[in-house]
Amino acid sequence: MLTFWKNVLENSPDAYEKAVRARDAHIGAFLEFDPKRHLGNAPGEVASAEKHAVLAGLPFGVKDNIAVDGFRLSCGSRILENFTSPYHATAVQRLMQAGAVPVGKTNLDEFGMGSSTDNSALGSTTNPWNEEFVVGGSSGGSAAAVAAGLVPFALGSDTGGSVRQPASFCGVYGLKPTYGTVSRFGLVAYASSLDVIGALSSDIEVLQAVYDVISGADAFDQTSMDPEPIGRSSADASAEDVLGYRGKNPCLGVLKPDQLELTAEVSESYQDCLEGFRSLGYEIKEVSLSMLEYVAPVYYTIATAEASANLARYNGVRYGRRPDFAENPDELVRLSRDEGFGPEVKLRILLGTYVLRSGFQDQYYLRAQKIRTAIRKDFEACFGEVDMILTPTFPRQAFRHGGEDMSPFEQKQADKFTASANLAGVPALSFPAGVRQGLPVGMQLVAPAFGEARLLAAARDYATLYQPEFAPGYERPAGEQ
Amino acid sequence: MYQSFIGLEIHIQLATQTKIFCGCKAAFGDEPNSNICPVCMGYPGVLPVLNQEAMRMAYVVARTLNCTLSERSVFERKNYFYPDLPKNYQISQYEHPLGRDGFVDIEFHKKKRRVRIHEVHLEEDAGKMIHAGDMSLLDYNRAGTPLLEIVTEPDLEVGEEAEVLLQHFRRMVRYLGVCDGNMEEGSMRCDANVSVNLSGSGLGNKVEIKNLNSSRFVRKALNFEISRQKDILERGGTVVQETRLWNENRDVSEAMRTKESAHDYRYFPEPDLPPFITDDTFLQEVEKGLVELPVARRTRFIEDYGLSELQAEFLVDERSTADFFEQSISLGADPQSAASWLASDVKKLLNRRGESMGSSVLSPERFAELLRLLDEGRIHGKIAKQVLEEVFASDASPAAIIKAKGWEQITDPAELSAYISKVLEAHPNAVEQVRAGDAKPVGFLVGQVMKATSGRAEPQLLQELISSHLAVKVIHVLSFGGAISGVRREDGLIGPGELFDLRTEFAGDTGLPAELRLEEIQLVAFLSEEIAPADWAVLISEIARRIEDSEAAGIVVAHGTDTLAYTASLLYWFFGKARIPIILTASSVPNDSERGSEKPRSEAVANISAAVKRAAAGPAGVGVVYGAQEYSPLNLKFERVEEGADRAGVFRTWNEIEDPRSAGGSQASGAPASLALSNLPGPIYPAPGVEPTDRKAVQVALEEALSRCFIVKAFPGMRGDHLITLMKNGVRYFVLELYDTGTASVRETPYSLRAALQYGAANGVSFFCTSQQEAMVDFADYVTSHELWREGAVPMGRLTTESAFTRLIVAQLGSEDELEVQRIMEDQ
Repeated sequence: MLTFWKNVLENSPDAYEKAVRARDAHIGAFLEFDPKRHLGNAPGEVASAEKHAVLAGLPFGVKDNIAVDGFRLSCGSRILENFTSPYHATAVQRLMQAGAVPVGKTNLDEFGMGSSTDNSALGSTTNPWNEEFVVGGSSGGSAAAVAAGLVPFALGSDTGGSVRQPASFCGVYGLKPTYGTVSRFGLVAYASSLDVIGALSSDIEVLQAVYDVISGADAFDQTSMDPEPIGRSSADASAEDVLGYRGKNPCLGVLKPDQLELTAEVSESYQDCLEGFRSLGYEIKEVSLSMLEYVAPVYYTIATAEASANLARYNGVRYGRRPDFAENPDELVRLSRDEGFGPEVKLRILLGTYVLRSGFQDQYYLRAQKIRTAIRKDFEACFGEVDMILTPTFPRQAFRHGGEDMSPFEQKQADKFTASANLAGVPALSFPAGVRQGLPVGMQLVAPAFGEARLLAAARDYATLYQPEFAPGYERPAGEQ
Repeated sequence: MYQSFIGLEIHIQLATQTKIFCGCKAAFGDEPNSNICPVCMGYPGVLPVLNQEAMRMAYVVARTLNCTLSERSVFERKNYFYPDLPKNYQISQYEHPLGRDGFVDIEFHKKKRRVRIHEVHLEEDAGKMIHAGDMSLLDYNRAGTPLLEIVTEPDLEVGEEAEVLLQHFRRMVRYLGVCDGNMEEGSMRCDANVSVNLSGSGLGNKVEIKNLNSSRFVRKALNFEISRQKDILERGGTVVQETRLWNENRDVSEAMRTKESAHDYRYFPEPDLPPFITDDTFLQEVEKGLVELPVARRTRFIEDYGLSELQAEFLVDERSTADFFEQSISLGADPQSAASWLASDVKKLLNRRGESMGSSVLSPERFAELLRLLDEGRIHGKIAKQVLEEVFASDASPAAIIKAKGWEQITDPAELSAYISKVLEAHPNAVEQVRAGDAKPVGFLVGQVMKATSGRAEPQLLQELISSHLAVKVIHVLSFGGAISGVRREDGLIGPGELFDLRTEFAGDTGLPAELRLEEIQLVAFLSEEIAPADWAVLISEIARRIEDSEAAGIVVAHGTDTLAYTASLLYWFFGKARIPIILTASSVPNDSERGSEKPRSEAVANISAAVKRAAAGPAGVGVVYGAQEYSPLNLKFERVEEGADRAGVFRTWNEIEDPRSAGGSQASGAPASLALSNLPGPIYPAPGVEPTDRKAVQVALEEALSRCFIVKAFPGMRGDHLITLMKNGVRYFVLELYDTGTASVRETPYSLRAALQYGAANGVSFFCTSQQEAMVDFADYVTSHELWREGAVPMGRLTTESAFTRLIVAQLGSEDELEVQRIMEDQ
């Protein structure tokens, strides 16, 4: 399959384009698709390192809140509907330097705010496994594009689970790296202290290569850094040492399932999964994350506070949507924002403004920061005992469009497994753990900072037990004869 | 009684090459929206990257302001919507600014003040919105330029102090090279907080004033605001806590927004920038950025080079000037003459050519060479000025110019003596006349030598050589009115006359040196109480010419007693550094008053005789001789304290006042007290503006200066509005003679100085304060003194009214504007 992807753009770009357009007519993964725009356009020197060779020639999708020069950067919002990016995000630029080609921009919940991609103002995306179900969000377009075989991998962004949750809904891998290891330059900020660019793929080796290429300090992002190896010794580079496991076998922390409010399917999958790891020789140890119940409120306090400032720049003055007429600059700003933002975005801006008011910060924002520190310590304590933590990615499988299975409030509550990793800044991976009732179930592995290699190694191990499935009808890549 | 409290928020645009968070050029005056990029325009997805140079400059300023430097400073987002702010939040610092708890020392009208610095923080500037007709235009070139905000504690009391502080800041940032300090162009900006309250009741309700685009506006706006708040409180009202805008066209502040509508900036830490942590390398860079500041440099210049405060002040005002000066010194230039040339002719030429020190064709090397040529006597002063102009005109070295133009003087005594011998041989009659005791032909003979050498004889050397050839010493006695040259008329009254014939009167005076040759010159015929500007102009120009042409070895001025204190101090301010003695003397009755009687003749003959001896013997400079006493020309008081037989004691000097500010007290011990000038201000001439040999120019300048000043003596029940009438008639400066150490009524009544001082402050009129008693005026002791200081009165320290007044006149001659006059007056 990889051989196909490596050659498709060079050999038959037109056929590929046609096939993707045909397939995507049902899915709606892409907001903009043009595989030839950046073909042969690699900026700067093309990296020749062996480890990047796996990416050369691969087409990839980019969530439409990540900048690709010449493509639009709509963020799924009316306010940026016609905004074209004048620059590349660092992650995109590095992938292009490794020979990969961005072919289009994928749909998302407006500014990354949502768990279904139904909050996009510019298009609807449906789950390749069943069109009545959502793809998850906010990187739903990227997950759908990978699951539907439109691209071998796609970039997403993960603020509270936005890469991992749609990955689990669509049955693909989704990696949220350690905060800071991937430059955020070019990622439209939702909540800057939580945002991370991540990647989705159905191929774990591709995912590894993407991470290797996009990670590393960037002069354009002062919060970025080079990953530090957590292994005990780099001289004696046996796999065990590089991964830095505490014992001979990896030790996996698991949560008591009874208080996790999981659906029966997810609960069963979780049990199956930990038994599977046990059968692979992993040591299983029960751990508790005492702060888990605070994750959703803390996450929404911090994320919306930052969002209220991050989204202040969209005022119709310098770019983006603006009314045809305004009496004065104040009205121009008011109308632009009123007409340009959708209801979920407005809700979060208001919430963020509320929690930051002077006199109320102690009660909300500063308190949330304190709990965030406690959550980080919670994880640190766990990682003193175990090498990784296994949780479900989301308490349930994909839900139906329209919110009848799951209200927006329930959707927010359900972010606790994923958002906790964002609050702690640690890496996490959602991997396919099975299919139940015709829909995939994803499980999440969380590692200490810079433990991406552990996550990928464990997922590789698990793939020996369960090889991820494709949605019926999408077993072959688009355009493959 | 009310107290006022002023705190300032000073914004300084740091002069970095690029903006604070992106690589765009940080420049003023470029095409609108030409220095912008996605980062400073707040495009989606971009991130700030901190400019390390901005951080270094910021820490240098904080360090210079004696702040505690933060090892960890944190940027925060300050949220507010305004179209000129691209992200609609400003990246600033709040909880953890880079510097805290500093201080800066200032001085206004002799009152020193330590202004505490609350904090120093770095932030990004916004763009500019311009409203044009029915459109609003935006220029984002400025958006993202680094802006340093310095917040002071409310330690200032009056607008003038704020003005002084801003000038201090302007100079400081220019010295540090972090900003040009230009308030008009907005690279330095200021907001002010003002509150007024009853004395002892702490701070009042705070009003913030914005839109202060010059240090002058700051002063005006603050003083306006203080009196506005005082008025409200006096009427029993409450000051509303609000923000007001200064309207510079109407000279009033106008309400902008009240506290209720104030912004909630919703600060929170900037997640895109990690906290800034200082390390040793960075702190070393900061230390390297520190420079010797103007105040320290001024003190050093005074101590190391023996400069006056005013000279030092002029030199240190711009770093380039001070550097130029020190480079010249290191190349061997004499500090005194370098300082006076830089402050006068060099400055004048640079201004005329619109050039600046250090960037013109006049290098320190050329300047030092010019002074060396002058010092070696190879050129004289007049030629030196021409050479200087020629350096600018032809971009050549002084030595080359002198050679090319044939301007070099004859400084070799042997060579000059040859010319002199020839001239003396050619004019035996004149030589004979001189030998017989006449002084007049000496001037003729000097003129002949000059003619023979085509004007290249070095005048002083010529004067010395011809004196020694003829074995004479020429003293010119200038008769300048007064009883000393008066006559008693038939009706018994004393009227103007001619100075008596010195040769006859001195015939029996064996104490006079044999080589003395006196020349009497009748400058005017009047009584000295009748002096007009034209008369002083004659006196000044005649003395100046004699000094320049070396016509005499000394000058005696025969004067009246009544106005001697004025003329003596006037001549001191002008000629205090002359290289020949200039001695004033007087007599209170005419020489012939007792003629024919048995009684002793008046003191006139004795006084002139003593003055002539003093002029012949030196030392150089201005002095006063009366009776058996020599007096200092400054702070002379005509008091007729005790009339002895020799009339000694008619004059006193007020130089012995103890200065509480200088440790060690009276300076006069050892030296004759009356001559002790060491703690008094030095002469202020030469200064650019008027050529003292040009009688007409001096007259015009004196007339203008005199028509702008007035002496007023405080007295109980004085009406302040009478002074307002004078101000309306063009008086710009008062010498105000107060009681004791500087007190007078400033009560809220028409019969006090208050109205006059306030009107004066609003109209830029100065009040220089002296004492009616023999006291040091420093406004230190009394509540009324402090009120006078608050209203802008300037203490004159130990200067008497007469000396302050003549200083004021000379200060005007040498100044380009009223600010400079004020500076000269305060330089004591």
